[in-house]
Amino acid sequence: MPRAGRDERAWVRGAQAGSASDLEALFRNHWPRAYRAAYLVVHDCAAAEDIAQEAFLAAVRALDSFDRRRPFGPWLHRIVVNRAIDWGRARSLRREVGDDALADARARSEPPRHQLSEGITGALAELTPEHRAVIVLRYLLEYTPGEIARMLELPRGTVNSRLRRGLDALQGRLAEEEL
Amino acid sequence: MTEAELRNRLLQDPVAGEQEAGQRAWEVVRSSYASRERVPWIERHSRLVLVLAVLAALTVAAVTPPGRAVVDTVRERVAQEPPPEDAFDRVPGGGRLLVLSASGPWVVQEDGSKRLLGHYEDASWSPRGLFVVATQGGRLVTLDPETGDVRWSLSHSEPVADARWSGGGLDTRIAYREGSSLHVVAGDGAPDAVLAENVPPVAPAWQPGSHVLAYVGGDQRIHVLDVDSRQELWRTRSVNGVRQLLFDDGRVVGVTAREIWVFGRHKRVLFERVARGHSILSAALVPVSGVVFADYDDAADATELISPTCSTSGACLLIPDIHVYRGAGRVGDLTTSPDGRWFAAASPDADQFLFFRRVPRLGKVVSVSDVTREFDPGGTGTRAFPHVAGWVQEVS
Repeated sequence: MPRAGRDERAWVRGAQAGSASDLEALFRNHWPRAYRAAYLVVHDCAAAEDIAQEAFLAAVRALDSFDRRRPFGPWLHRIVVNRAIDWGRARSLRREVGDDALADARARSEPPRHQLSEGITGALAELTPEHRAVIVLRYLLEYTPGEIARMLELPRGTVNSRLRRGLDALQGRLAEEEL
Repeated sequence: MTEAELRNRLLQDPVAGEQEAGQRAWEVVRSSYASRERVPWIERHSRLVLVLAVLAALTVAAVTPPGRAVVDTVRERVAQEPPPEDAFDRVPGGGRLLVLSASGPWVVQEDGSKRLLGHYEDASWSPRGLFVVATQGGRLVTLDPETGDVRWSLSHSEPVADARWSGGGLDTRIAYREGSSLHVVAGDGAPDAVLAENVPPVAPAWQPGSHVLAYVGGDQRIHVLDVDSRQELWRTRSVNGVRQLLFDDGRVVGVTAREIWVFGRHKRVLFERVARGHSILSAALVPVSGVVFADYDDAADATELISPTCSTSGACLLIPDIHVYRGAGRVGDLTTSPDGRWFAAASPDADQFLFFRRVPRLGKVVSVSDVTREFDPGGTGTRAFPHVAGWVQEVS
């Protein structure tokens, strides 16, 4: 069994028994990817923070009933990505009425240019949240298309086509930038 | 770009705010973990325990005369109506309540003991619950909640209402309305100043712990103001019919008859809209960035308390909104406990206060009956029904 898996089970067991340090280890180990995954789907730092935080709070609430035989990561990632998709849908469904300064606000909420790879996020932004989610699950969180299909409750063919389309869009956008 | 290159860039490029956000989130998660209630083994395995208990009971009842006698006794007990809760033998979830009735404001201590502070029309707590601000006619007073003694008072020519207190330590402010003028006064009674004129009768809302105030102006916009510098920080477009304001973490929630709007510095989002023939009686903020609200169905004369699974920041769970409770008549005046683990509602038709536990698991309800007799003794039932106007922690 990989060491990371053993550590994770020990942390979950410790956290269930009341060890805050084990919970912190679990949190520190999973926060970066959870936050990054949420950010890459929603493209909003504050929302990404809320989504990843809510996922960990859900984990704390469900800690007593969590089955230690199952890996913690996929369970957490499923919550994060589904909430991020839902947030993206809600943002487009709910009527947002911008004041004049809305454009400025959006500009301020974008990350500084030197930080996140601008080309990738720009290209991702052109995809729907559902398409972004499969890219993030596949290439950031490294799930197989079959696992992604189960997580998002989608046909495997749909996952494959979203991956293909997402990759094509990313490559097209990045190629334009390099010209 | 190959798939490996994409993977590397997604994994390795820095993401804005990752570490700071992680630190903030860890504090919230740690706090939630520290305050969680462990689920006892017997509760975690309640189905198994129940099945075993039923099997054992059936076996005993089937084979012994004493067993049959026990079954008969249990059957009689179960058939009885559950006795109503005594009025406030303790405050569910702890803390102290400020209950407002037609008789005046009452302070209810954690052990259920209570004191009428005097004949005031409206009241609310100071930020730490050390004082109460109350109004009567054109008079604004601050009171000692233990004794009801007046610490200081102000008199105006117009009726005074909707006093709300904020700030920290000794540096506090009270916002209130005198007629259609919005005032602010320091927590020690001076100086007093007018912030705005021609404001509608909507209680202002403070950003918690700050001197930043949200109020509805005469132009129907919601204005957010630093009351010390008098600088308007931001304002919304006009919104018709705002009846209640709440101030979340940097966001203002405006409640109209059928809608809940969330306003940020540069945007507004329609958060909820109830069906035609329904109205929103009340809303309250709950951690983290959530809202509960009372949805009254006029045709059915019934109210549902709903906990949306989206937060005011926009993050959503992938489940439908949670319908916490449905009861006859108008159930409203929602108030959240200081730690956010409980919220209270008033049910005039049932003559009850209802206390709902949110954390660690939504579901537990504690009802307190005979509320009118408790808080408006001698009242005929035609006066305003009592409600929980504020909930603060026990003074340590």
